[in-house]
Amino acid sequence: MQSTGGHPKYLLCEISFASPNGWQHVEEKKLHRSILEAIQKAHGDFGVACCAVSFAVKYLNTYTGILLLRCRKAHYRLLWSTLAFIHQLGKKETCAITCIHVGGTIRTCQKFLIGYNRQQLLRKLPTCKSEAERTALQEAVRSCTLQEDVVSASEEDSN
Amino acid sequence: MACHERMEDDSGKYERIVHKNGSSYHYLKISLEFEEDTSIRLNSAQFKQLIISSLKQLFGEIGAALPFDVLQFEENTLSAVLRVYNRDLVKVWSALTLLGSYQSEMCAFRVQQVSPFLLALCGNSRTLKLE
Repeated sequence: MQSTGGHPKYLLCEISFASPNGWQHVEEKKLHRSILEAIQKAHGDFGVACCAVSFAVKYLNTYTGILLLRCRKAHYRLLWSTLAFIHQLGKKETCAITCIHVGGTIRTCQKFLIGYNRQQLLRKLPTCKSEAERTALQEAVRSCTLQEDVVSASEEDSN
Repeated sequence: MACHERMEDDSGKYERIVHKNGSSYHYLKISLEFEEDTSIRLNSAQFKQLIISSLKQLFGEIGAALPFDVLQFEENTLSAVLRVYNRDLVKVWSALTLLGSYQSEMCAFRVQQVSPFLLALCGNSRTLKLE
C-alpha cells in the first residue's frame, strides 16, 4: 500500500553569521518566516505554494549553527536553491546558509551530524592552546555516539 | 533486360528522416485584450515588461530571468509573436494565463497559436475564409 501523502526530505544546513552577536536574535519562528519570504522572492507564488505546505524548521542549534529543515520530496530542490539567496534574517543580521546533507529521515541526518561534528572537533584540535583543552576535546570526540534511548527521531511524518 | 532491373532497384528506394526535437524553441502567437475599450497603448518594451512582471509574480526572480524574445509586436492590435526555449514554455504560458490586470485595467492574454516552427504561425486554418 502506497501512502498518498508527500514524503518528506530533510535538509541539514549550517548557518554562519557575519558578526558574532548575530546569534542572539535567531529563533525558529523568525527563521521560518524569513525562509518563506526568501522563497516568495526567488520562486514566486509557485514556489511558496509548493514548499509552504510541508515546510518546517525541525531543529535549530544556535551554538553550532546547525539547522534542520523539512520539506516535501518533490520540491526539496526549490528550497535548496533558495537557501543560496538568503543573505539576511529580518533586515538586521547578514548570514549565509549552506546545506551540508540531504536525508530522508531525521535519523539519517542525525547520524551524518555526529560524523560531521566529530570532523569539526578534530579540525579544531591543532588550534588548541592548552593541554587541558586538548584532552577535553579528545574526550568529546571519543564520546560522540547516537544515544538509542534519547532518539525520538525515527518519525517519518506523512501529511 | 538486366540493366533495366538495376535501374528499377535504385528508383524504388526512399529515405525517411524523422526529427524528434526539431526545434529548440517554441513560438507563441498571442494578443493582449482589455476588458473594456480603453485607450491604453503599450510599446514593445512595456509589453515585454508586462510579461516579465507576470513571470516574477508567479515564479519569482528566477522566473523573471527566463530568456524569451518578442519577435514581432503590433501596437494597434496589441498582438505579438514570442519565442521561448522548450524548457520554459510551460512556465511562460502559465504566466501569460494568470495575468489579470495592467495599470488597474482588467486584461487578459489570448494565446492564439503555439508551434515549434515559426513557419506554422503564418497560416492558420481558423482564419481561412470559405466561400
